[in-house]
Amino acid sequence: MIEITGFSNYHIATIMIAEANMEQADVFKHELITEMDSGKKQILISFENVQYIDSSFLGALVASLKYALTIGGDLAVYGLNENILNLFEMIRMDKVFKVFKTVPASYEDGWIAG
Amino acid sequence: MAKKILLVDDDRFILQLICRALGAKGFSCRTAKSVHEALGLLYDEIPDIVLSDYSMPEIDGFEFRKVLLRDKRYKNIPFVFYTSFADEDTMQKGLEMQAVDYIDKNTPVHLVVSKLNNILDTIRKQHEKSLFEIGAAAEALNLRSVPLAAPTIEGFKLQFLYQTYNHYPGGDFIDFIKTDENTVFVILGDVMGKKWGAWFFSFNFLSYIRSAIRLCVFDGISSPASILNKINRIVCLDPVLGDVLSTLSLMMIDQSASKVYYAGAGDLPVIHFSKADGNIACVQSAGLLLGIMENGLYQEDVLEMHTGDQLIAITDGMIDFMTETGKTSDYTLFVRKLERILGQSDTYKEIKDQMFSATEDESVVDDRSIVIIEKI
Repeated sequence: MIEITGFSNYHIATIMIAEANMEQADVFKHELITEMDSGKKQILISFENVQYIDSSFLGALVASLKYALTIGGDLAVYGLNENILNLFEMIRMDKVFKVFKTVPASYEDGWIAG
Repeated sequence: MAKKILLVDDDRFILQLICRALGAKGFSCRTAKSVHEALGLLYDEIPDIVLSDYSMPEIDGFEFRKVLLRDKRYKNIPFVFYTSFADEDTMQKGLEMQAVDYIDKNTPVHLVVSKLNNILDTIRKQHEKSLFEIGAAAEALNLRSVPLAAPTIEGFKLQFLYQTYNHYPGGDFIDFIKTDENTVFVILGDVMGKKWGAWFFSFNFLSYIRSAIRLCVFDGISSPASILNKINRIVCLDPVLGDVLSTLSLMMIDQSASKVYYAGAGDLPVIHFSKADGNIACVQSAGLLLGIMENGLYQEDVLEMHTGDQLIAITDGMIDFMTETGKTSDYTLFVRKLERILGQSDTYKEIKDQMFSATEDESVVDDRSIVIIEKI
């Protein structure tokens, strides 16, 4: 579901599916939390491969962020297509997640302040 | 929608033969020459049924079945064995692994297709029966996430439409609370999550929302933003709702002032049609989804309603649809469709006919709700 790579002083988790939906939401959350538990606490989630996201997957995304915050971690998102970005803005997910249009140089680079 | 089948066999000829016959009968067929290949295809897309050979090199059909049973994403996909050695022991072994049936490879191809159709048909009927029984139980307990009818309020017309997705109840909920002759609260929300889970939690959310509105009104508070704030604080503190989030559009109709007070939590913008100039405004609320954090940043908009003005609130099912390249969400397209409908003599009927008609069903991907408030 996700492929994780180290970048600068954080990690990038790339979602490997085009349709981020209800069937995938639990697996996604589980994989992300497993990565955070293994010490990768600051994760930028890449949506470059994702064409569509449903509300269940959004729920899993927020639940993962809530978990990250409880362990002193952080999640941000990157690579949203136009429709998904519009949806994020329309339902204020952009106030919950820092949304990046380009990969930040480091965790400190605009992420924390966001 | 075409029924999707995954066909697994190491014999390329059989794959082609069956696939062609299934294709001619409207199945969408994907083929794999090995279990390894099949798992790759399953990862991309969940089929309606799997037809797999027993005897294959490296990993055989039994092992394949075991792998699927261990994985909760795959274990409920109906599984049929397709084999040339149909001795009783093998059959028994297959059926013990929760395969729904087996088909002998000597069976003529057209009968294979009929048999698969029958299996899918039986599964569908059983499924509908279960849904019906659960629905009847919910009805008996008076559990409704959508009311039977909207209340009446002088000077306004309140209407709504709701449609389940593939007969599944979803997370959408609607309610109207008339606190006095002058005031009606309109509730429209969508619990994020899985079909049954979302449906179940919609009752929790509705209970909180109904209580909060009543208690606030008792205390002289009628501001939707203040009420939302209280609901959100309760939701954040409730461990049962832990990871469950919900959108909410909360509107308070003040009949005597001809105003609607609106606050929203992670909801889609409400569409405000002005009859006088034909203008359509999308009113975006400020608040976060219920349950994210204690300070949900809720704010209120006051919408003046003149005769013929309309307000449309929707859940995300209305903007999600299937295209040739997959699912997508397009709010702008939805508003564009509405432009042709708003302000007409019977907007409700037009929306029902154009957006809830049978021809729309193919592209629908979620449960869908729409509430229409009109100043008359």
